[in-house]
Amino acid sequence: MKYFWFGWLLATSISSCSLPADKQANSTVRIRWNRDPESLSPLTLPNQNAVDAATLLHCSLLQVDLSTGTYAPALADSLPRMQLLGDSLTHLRYQLRHAAAWDNGRPVLATDVAFTLKLIFCPGLPNEKARTQLGFIRDIKLDPTNPRHFTLVCRGQAPEFGFESGEFPILAEDALDSKHSLRQFSLASVATANTAEPTLAALAARYQQADLEDHSGRLPGCGPYKLAAWKKNQYLTFERKTHWWADSLRPAPLVLQAKPTKLHFSIIKDDATATLALRRHELDVLPQASARDFKRLQALAATQQRFAFYTTTSYEVVTAGFNTRRPLLRDSLTRQALSRLFDPARLLQATQLGQGQRTVGLVHPNDHRYYASNLPLLAYDLPQAQVLLQRAGWQHRPTGWTRPAAKGQSEHLALALRYRAEDPVFQTIALQFKAAATQLNIPVELRPTESSLLTTALREGDFDMYVRIQKGNPFAFNYASMLHSRNVQEGNFSKFGTPATDRLIEAVATAETPAQKRQLLQRFQVMLQQQAPLVPLFFLPYRLVTDRRLQNVYPSAIKPGYSAPTMTWTDAAPVLAQQ
Amino acid sequence: MRLLGRWLAAQVGRAFLAAWAIASLVFLLSRLDAAKATDLLLGETDNLGTAVLRADADTIQHQARQAIEQRLGLAEPLFYTTRTQQAGTVSWHWHGLHNQYHRWLVGLLHGHLGLSFRDGQPIGPRWRAALAYTIPLTFLALLGAIVGALLVGLVLADGPQAALSGWRAGLHTLLTGLQGLPLFALALGLLFAFANPDMLNILPAYAGSPDDEELWGQRALRLVLPVLALVLAVLPELALLLAHTLRHELSTGYATTARAKGLSNGKLLRRHALPNAILPLLTALAGLLPALVAGAVVVETIFALPGTGRLLAEAVAMHDYPVVVAGVLFTALARLLALALADALYAWADPRIRLVP
Repeated sequence: MKYFWFGWLLATSISSCSLPADKQANSTVRIRWNRDPESLSPLTLPNQNAVDAATLLHCSLLQVDLSTGTYAPALADSLPRMQLLGDSLTHLRYQLRHAAAWDNGRPVLATDVAFTLKLIFCPGLPNEKARTQLGFIRDIKLDPTNPRHFTLVCRGQAPEFGFESGEFPILAEDALDSKHSLRQFSLASVATANTAEPTLAALAARYQQADLEDHSGRLPGCGPYKLAAWKKNQYLTFERKTHWWADSLRPAPLVLQAKPTKLHFSIIKDDATATLALRRHELDVLPQASARDFKRLQALAATQQRFAFYTTTSYEVVTAGFNTRRPLLRDSLTRQALSRLFDPARLLQATQLGQGQRTVGLVHPNDHRYYASNLPLLAYDLPQAQVLLQRAGWQHRPTGWTRPAAKGQSEHLALALRYRAEDPVFQTIALQFKAAATQLNIPVELRPTESSLLTTALREGDFDMYVRIQKGNPFAFNYASMLHSRNVQEGNFSKFGTPATDRLIEAVATAETPAQKRQLLQRFQVMLQQQAPLVPLFFLPYRLVTDRRLQNVYPSAIKPGYSAPTMTWTDAAPVLAQQ
Repeated sequence: MRLLGRWLAAQVGRAFLAAWAIASLVFLLSRLDAAKATDLLLGETDNLGTAVLRADADTIQHQARQAIEQRLGLAEPLFYTTRTQQAGTVSWHWHGLHNQYHRWLVGLLHGHLGLSFRDGQPIGPRWRAALAYTIPLTFLALLGAIVGALLVGLVLADGPQAALSGWRAGLHTLLTGLQGLPLFALALGLLFAFANPDMLNILPAYAGSPDDEELWGQRALRLVLPVLALVLAVLPELALLLAHTLRHELSTGYATTARAKGLSNGKLLRRHALPNAILPLLTALAGLLPALVAGAVVVETIFALPGTGRLLAEAVAMHDYPVVVAGVLFTALARLLALALADALYAWADPRIRLVP
């Protein structure tokens, strides 16, 4: 008898533990995150998951519409009107939506935007990253006749200001500064004040006391969700507000849709565990699945019927770079020759099981406006590499490749390749390159390096070649960080840059018309292939697996790669209609 | 009793002193890479953006770095003194009490572990939250391993005195195999065996549940696989050691005499051999902590438990040094206290051993 009771208890516990999705609340969506957001303070946002969480809790002026891959108005009622003043100032005119309101019914006004900007520039707060990103905003001018209208005064001129100026969560002035003490300060005076200024110090103290990193509820946002639960490194639950201001918009733009009544994010670091959790109905959405798990799930008959599989080409490009300050690699012919030793086609197959896309350069291959499809794709070609080496002055001897150098000396072609340790993609690329180089009798020393040390080594120029991932986006074509001579101390690890290429990069970044940009980007891609300071090998894929019954997923190449707030269950329509 | 008190006080004092020395060393070494804090907070350099084209980009970046250093107290001198060398002359500069190390030490004495480089938040609550998961996990695993080792050790020793045979030999081989298996393979094996729709789909795949209304029984089930993985990771070593020592005890003169007097093998094992065989087990138990800490990293990662192992591993990977220093402090303290406890238990189990304060 006792065995019967034990068996019954065990069976009950087990069966209730693995409830199928059908028995869960109909409009709840459970999503895997591979790391904790760490902080929900809208000023800090240390990683992508924190950014995604902030989008649920708060609204920005503009937000990315994943269905079109463009910025769309959120709190703003339209994209900003840009006005160039002289050659060093830009004015951006914004109008807030009439319907936009905080949870207590108070409208979202230009004073809230001004307060948020002052908070971002306030000394003594953990806002350094946001401050760096929005450093081009110098002032905000409110319109005395229209409390929802304001103008951002920006220093400099760039097309990207149009969307970058609107991409920060707007906070409620009353929640942190009910006495409106910051209104006496201009944005510029806040930015230049020191931490001892009494009003600003008091504000900083209030902000720190609120402990918003862990208690986002103390700062109510005007986003569609509120944080219901957060167990660090375990899960977060967001609950849909019963009454949200954007519910009254007809038709509701995609960036202002919020369908699921609950969004659960489970923090599961291990890929195998996450895949099993998906198969056991403990998850509904598995973003950024590994290539192996994705293929395996696709191959299983049992999972084919239950899950939908999406692949998009991300804006993350795997890139090999050369240290152009090294005498061995100072000439473009040598760099071009060494580029031919990479085999992107086979590497894409080996590391991504064929998903992702090869490329001619840094422009995304799916961006048909600007991608130079007339240029040849980089291909593995040992004979061509040999020819190019000889043209660069190298002579093949039994001991290797040598060429005359200064002061009657000769230099020997031998390379050290650095990449982030413990990353199988980089390791595979490095091994393939070494194998190809060995065939040409070029010694290559592989130096897998811990990520922090790698950044230091790259900054200090302690490498011949590197392999790493370069992250981009569909909005900005600004390659200065990685290729402008001004940034050789920061992100331009190849130390490349001539006056001519600097001018080209600046022209690309500031081009105003699509035609002008297309022409300049074509020149830029040709230059990149000819000079070869770095070699884009392939764009990585994003792989997404969801429950087949989930609709409006909007798989995207833009992070996070899916749209959580728009998801609906095909059989959950009646529940949603009641909201 | 007074002797034991003095001895314990001396041991605990030594443990604290050693833990302080180790943590201080790690603190000072880690602060040599303080630039990492600014890198962490300012984000990665591999993203495209417009900031880099502005004429004052360098100034803005420099100001941001300065602001972070100021906010986290990294602008102060590292230690009480600084050694400088100019034109071949070495000079020492005294900074007084306004230095990072002094601030950290005073904070530590007041129970503050410092601020995370990652988000500028206090570390103490984070460690407390993580310990709330790791302590029950490791305690359950330790308990399971000890009980399991006693049972398995006694079963293995309770047989013919010649070489092991039959199912005992099989069990011995199984334990030896388990001992050689890396923990990640063991944990993944358990996961694929018991939480896999293709195999036995009877246990949850991960320990964290988003459902606050989950019953305690279901919550307990979520801990089965992590605890089992840790138990199986440490049990073989303990069980094989105990079995070996027990068999050695059974071959000694007093065991032969006891048998000659008609004592059964089982009674002989439990009443006479086990108290003598327990001593090496105590030493092994004291040495178990590093294995459990290392094991917790793997188990907490695979089963998605937010414990100290995962916190420490992620802090190391992210170069969040204040979190690492706190972890070193806890681990060193726990290890040293475990050694002191093992010494005390040794003295309790064997009256011939004397405690010297």
